[in-house]
Amino acid sequence: MNKVSRRRLLASGAAAAAAAAGAGALPGLATRVLAADPIRVGAVLPFSGGLELFGNQAKLGLDLAMKEINDAGGILGRPLEILYEDNKTDPKTSVEKARTLIGRDGAVALTGPILSSSRDAMAATVNRSKVPLLYATNYEGGACSRYIFSFNTVPNQELAKLLPYMHETFGGSTYMFGADYVWPQQMFEAAKGIIGQQVGGEVAGVEFTPWGVKEFAPVIRRIADSGAKVLLFALPGGDGITFIKQAEAFGLFDKVTVAFLGFAETYLGAFGPGGGQNMWVTVPFVASGAQPGVTDFVARIRAQAGEEVPISHYVMTHYNAINALRDALQRKGEVGPEAVVDGLEGLTVSTPTGPVSIGSADHHVTLPMFLAKTEGSGLVTVEDLGRIAPEAGCS
Amino acid sequence: MDQALLLLLDAANYVLVIVLVAMGLVIVFGLMRVINMAHGELFLLGAYTLVMLQQAGVSYWVGLVAAPLLVGGVGLLMEELVIRHIYHRFLDTILATWGLSIIIKQGVILLFGPGAQSTTAPFTAQLDLLGSSYPAYRLFIMGVALFVVAGTFYLFFRTRFGLAARAVIANRDTAACLGLSTRAFDRATFAYGAALAGLAGAVMAPIMSVDPQMGLGFLIPAFLSILVGGAGHLGGPVLGAGLIGATDSVTASLWSPVLAQVVVFTMAVIAIRIFPTGILGGGRK
Repeated sequence: MNKVSRRRLLASGAAAAAAAAGAGALPGLATRVLAADPIRVGAVLPFSGGLELFGNQAKLGLDLAMKEINDAGGILGRPLEILYEDNKTDPKTSVEKARTLIGRDGAVALTGPILSSSRDAMAATVNRSKVPLLYATNYEGGACSRYIFSFNTVPNQELAKLLPYMHETFGGSTYMFGADYVWPQQMFEAAKGIIGQQVGGEVAGVEFTPWGVKEFAPVIRRIADSGAKVLLFALPGGDGITFIKQAEAFGLFDKVTVAFLGFAETYLGAFGPGGGQNMWVTVPFVASGAQPGVTDFVARIRAQAGEEVPISHYVMTHYNAINALRDALQRKGEVGPEAVVDGLEGLTVSTPTGPVSIGSADHHVTLPMFLAKTEGSGLVTVEDLGRIAPEAGCS
Repeated sequence: MDQALLLLLDAANYVLVIVLVAMGLVIVFGLMRVINMAHGELFLLGAYTLVMLQQAGVSYWVGLVAAPLLVGGVGLLMEELVIRHIYHRFLDTILATWGLSIIIKQGVILLFGPGAQSTTAPFTAQLDLLGSSYPAYRLFIMGVALFVVAGTFYLFFRTRFGLAARAVIANRDTAACLGLSTRAFDRATFAYGAALAGLAGAVMAPIMSVDPQMGLGFLIPAFLSILVGGAGHLGGPVLGAGLIGATDSVTASLWSPVLAQVVVFTMAVIAIRIFPTGILGGGRK
């Protein structure tokens, strides 16, 4: 038994060495010429360093898409392989991993990361290598290039219906509070425009906090005293949970209702029973939704990942990105980074929530959106908002 | 007037929280010259002890007692297995405790996953203070912090153990000649510092996100407090925490949390420039 496995190990080691030698002679090409060779997609995601929850959510969707594609015979007769790399929630590591996936593994496309800082850092690499990045996290807009596609929302898609609804339902002015980096700042800029022009409401205050602050009493007091009825909230991760817990203890939510940007169902477990309720969001996917496509998708994810796992929109957008890649390659009838780009432009993909269209110029998606609020351990849909087109911020 | 009193209340709350978290760090750094980079992870262990017990259906109060005991035990192990071998290599203690901090954090991720855990406060009442509602639990935290400071000062300045401990600090060799067991003292001091971190973790858990990264947030203001106040005397960090915490809280209240950080760091730089060993001095040479 031992001998056999050891011999096998030696044999496979020799084969790997030979393959490596071949790859050394023809860098990049060796992996692409063999027909039965898998089509490789690189996923650069945070599996450590703070945003593991989001990385794991993305992986749920990617894993399911890969499994379903391979069960159905792959893409153009070739199996799909997703190679995961942990970017440690760090921009520099993201770039290194992207280079490895493109240079060593011959990936035809990349997906991930989560943070804007990591995506911006990777942008130069994907543009230079001419390998497309299929980004599937909601962000501030403005990432426009031939080699970047966005499969999640930009500010107008999250805000355009949410803010008017909050204003009509809860009235009064809006206070904005978020982390001090590019995404909340851009979101609040967009929100100010919508509140001023569309809604005709007032902004009671705009405030940012550095990362790592653990004491929010002064901010909570200021929001309570501002007389605002709505809190537009964009503080992701543990800091956001800390804020909500402290604000709840101060009774802030008797006075203001939270509109939560960048919400994921994975947060809810942290607030304990009865905590974190009645927070409002607009998202491209609500796991408790009644559409057949959604219940079916949820069942397939649960069959793969267990009954307990929360399913946020990040699961579906990453799933969509891989299915779009499949459709793009099949549309072009060939495999390669340029075929992915050409195939994706102007493509409409069917997704669990309905058709999603990729803009041929801006590379952002028009997709169905839902107004929802937190209730119990998940989200419930309040209103089906229909398909909303992106204002991607590409000039 | 009420506004000013509320400002003071928030500032006092933050100062006491920093003191609570920093006290264990101070004891270990000030008395043993070990910069314990794993202090934040001991804090984390305290919070997770509470989470574990609460999830098992045990009451909060049991968790509050169990956390310092368990984390104190972990501290004892750390001292026995690692720290005692490198007391004389100051820089290596930083590296070793940093390594321990990674082991503890990754261990927690393996056991509990990377997500935030839920904890519940033993009481959620809000008191009406100065026309503004204030969570009763925050008053409890302030009480615990005061108790810890008073208890620690009592222990080191009013008991035979404290007398012996200060003797060992003042002159290790003479103390050993007089029959004091310096090993026992090292062990007890490190375990006591760790236990305080565990207690702080359990106390703070209900009002913050309990996730594997939680240890970091208070560690920076705690270290700053020690640098500003001085590590040679137990009162140093209390004074440092007072300055750091009050400045941060008042600036955040009157202006913004972003400006608060700028002001706090600027103040710390100036304080360290004028008092290189801290306001109350560095003590042992």
